[in-house]
Amino acid sequence: MRVFQGLKRIIYICTLTLTVAFGTHAAMAQEAKCHPEQLATKYPSLVGKTIKIATDGATPPYSMRDPNDFNKLIGLDNDMAHAAFDCIGVPVDFMIGAWSGLLPAVIAGQADVMWDTLYYTPERAKEADFVIYLRAATGGLVQKNNPKKIKSLDDVCGIRATAGLGSTEEAVFRDLSAKCVAAGKAAIEIVTFPDIPAGSRLVKNDRADLLMIDLGLVNSFIAADPDSFDLAFSILTDYKVGVGVAKNNKELSQAIFDALKILQANGTEEAIYKKYNFDHKQALPTEILTQ
Amino acid sequence: MPSVLKELAGYVVEPFLLQGAVTAIEIAAVAMVGGIILGLGLALMRLSRVAPVRWIAWFYIWFVRGTPQLLQLVFLYDALPIIGIKLDTFTTAVVGFALNEAAFSAEIIRGGILSVNRNQSIAASAFGMPPLLTLRRIILPQAMRAILPGMANDTISMIKGTSIASVIFVNELTFRSQQIVGQNFKFFTVFAAAGIIYLVMTSAIAGIQILLERRFNFELERKPADGNRLFGFNFGRAATPPPAAAIGKPVKSGAVVLDREWLQSLTSGASNGDTDSRPFVIGRNLWKSYGDREVLKGVDFTVNRGEVVVIMGPSGSGKSTLLRMVNHLESIDQGEILVGGKHIGYERVNGAFRPTGDLASARAKARIGMVFQHFNLFDHLTALENVMEAPTRVHREDAAKARETAMRLLTMVGLSNHTDHLPHRLSGGQQQRVGIARALAISPRLMLFDEPTSALDPELVGEVLAVLRQLADLGMTMIVVTHEIGFARDVADRVIFMDEGGIVEQGKPSEVIGNPRHERTRRFLRLVEEKTEETDVVSA
Repeated sequence: MRVFQGLKRIIYICTLTLTVAFGTHAAMAQEAKCHPEQLATKYPSLVGKTIKIATDGATPPYSMRDPNDFNKLIGLDNDMAHAAFDCIGVPVDFMIGAWSGLLPAVIAGQADVMWDTLYYTPERAKEADFVIYLRAATGGLVQKNNPKKIKSLDDVCGIRATAGLGSTEEAVFRDLSAKCVAAGKAAIEIVTFPDIPAGSRLVKNDRADLLMIDLGLVNSFIAADPDSFDLAFSILTDYKVGVGVAKNNKELSQAIFDALKILQANGTEEAIYKKYNFDHKQALPTEILTQ
Repeated sequence: MPSVLKELAGYVVEPFLLQGAVTAIEIAAVAMVGGIILGLGLALMRLSRVAPVRWIAWFYIWFVRGTPQLLQLVFLYDALPIIGIKLDTFTTAVVGFALNEAAFSAEIIRGGILSVNRNQSIAASAFGMPPLLTLRRIILPQAMRAILPGMANDTISMIKGTSIASVIFVNELTFRSQQIVGQNFKFFTVFAAAGIIYLVMTSAIAGIQILLERRFNFELERKPADGNRLFGFNFGRAATPPPAAAIGKPVKSGAVVLDREWLQSLTSGASNGDTDSRPFVIGRNLWKSYGDREVLKGVDFTVNRGEVVVIMGPSGSGKSTLLRMVNHLESIDQGEILVGGKHIGYERVNGAFRPTGDLASARAKARIGMVFQHFNLFDHLTALENVMEAPTRVHREDAAKARETAMRLLTMVGLSNHTDHLPHRLSGGQQQRVGIARALAISPRLMLFDEPTSALDPELVGEVLAVLRQLADLGMTMIVVTHEIGFARDVADRVIFMDEGGIVEQGKPSEVIGNPRHERTRRFLRLVEEKTEETDVVSA
């Protein structure tokens, strides 16, 4: 029986690794103060630990390399993680790996938390707990001056659209395409990309008309290359973004929750959002979701 | 434009990227070493005579080659902790890549081993070299030429392929360049710089490949080397000067002059103690079949000390099989052979004979020299090294002494000018004389000749037979399978004529050849005499 469960788990981990999804974010606030010196009384299981944070370092503005020193990590998620664990009173160590390997590493106990644009879904919540802090928004990236005049998802029939392989956006495009066909319009020609910068090059080189992904990412692309890209539209979604924590690590989830609450209340979160030109309206009051 | 180049150059020397390159090399280097060692083991398992061992290796290769490496890495990293094995990132990558490489290199190594002529290992076995020594000294050095290109491919693939380990948090070159691009979107210069760094690394591998291939190309000339190398090849160029001092008197190359006393002392050392009056070789009721075909049907024969026995007969008569049974190169289905009163590699268990575990040492102890139809010289070793191989490696003789003996033997068979030549540079007759010297070097008590002149051009037969004649004169015990009637008539003490797996008749040459009693013998002799008249004249 244990073997069977182990096998199920292995299969799940492998599936998860192949199913790459790209994520987004939002939050609010209450009041309090950080008390890192109270670590031993509040979270005894964290004493002496160094929290290993899994991140990919290639998802601006959430997690990326510092242009002035490639050995340093910056970004909204990384800054938030630093602030949260400073508040809790434990040192951190960032483990940088490909995005698709991050959550499996947390589930397996190789890392403690995944803090990198991870969308909460009930399916994922079966394997890991989520401490949510952000509401995801989706953006449409198009070529400069939006040559196909795409203003919303009503304008996508017959276009060439691109999304991350296995992402929620890909599923959205497949749905919309079916609806286009049902309405007697041309289907969407869907191309998937393996990594986000590769997707942006599809748009830049006129191999795709529209790239749909997290709004923060889309804005980063536009900021980096304003001569090539424009924002077609943005949509605030129902997706919640959170920190992934192993199921058996309840005290860590609680600690992150407590810390985020403080950061949302004392203005730290807003300052970090501002630093990365990120709309603070996307912030969500933090919450622990276990299923 | 220059600014793009400047930016490109900046990324090529960017420490953040170079550190990733170092990571890739570290993982690939350790994993490659582990993979090759495991792969060699798997290749040998695949070649095993034991079926379950072959199946296990096949299954491993089937599984590892057949599943995505990405999933193997994730499994090692994220699934093993469930059963309590928690490997760190670097270890996981090394283990994962090594396990993967083992499957691929196993097949490359197996291909290389199979590409080496089977004659090579037969010759090594005949001289009592155990399997692993044969593999290390004889097979692998020759297999390297076939193995190296594939291995270079794998090494290069692995250096580049370490990028998939980003899924288990390995920050190598590709992943680091993706991170920079993810931050500044300058994919052109960053990826081009990564490409240049990869090219530098893979160029180094390609360079090493060229050097190694040159080392293992035995058709290139090389300088003589000493006999103390670990493998049957060396990596330094020159070695010791040609040991001409070891030769007593200079002999014109080509002339065959055996130093009788010395050679007798060399060979009698091994036969001391064999003083009993029974025949030296006794074969009783020998049966052998290959599948349904019966090759030997109850053969009895003996060879006395100092006797020269020639076995003749049409092809398929079983004469070579009989010869190869004497030193257990062929197994015996039924019956027994005693050499100097001992079974070679057999033990009697409840009245039945069973092969013993250590056949190689039984062959080595028997000290039976063997000369083959196709010479079977070790192709990657010089004439001198061929002769020294068994004395130094099997009989653990002192290298300097073995070298001196080898030089004398080669001088005796008229090859003092060819000691440092590889077999492919020698004529057939010269190769066969090296073959004879090699057999004599182990101080044989018995010499087996398996059609020693059949593969030679007629004008070269004489030079080989001349050596055999002189050995016979010395009183060497010899069994010679040959069609050379003139040789048999002049030299043999006894001729055995075989046909269809049995002995038709045997006796003095004057009887069997001069006055055969059986029609089958007469018919065969007529046929052979017609064909070999010319050769006979040369050899006489």
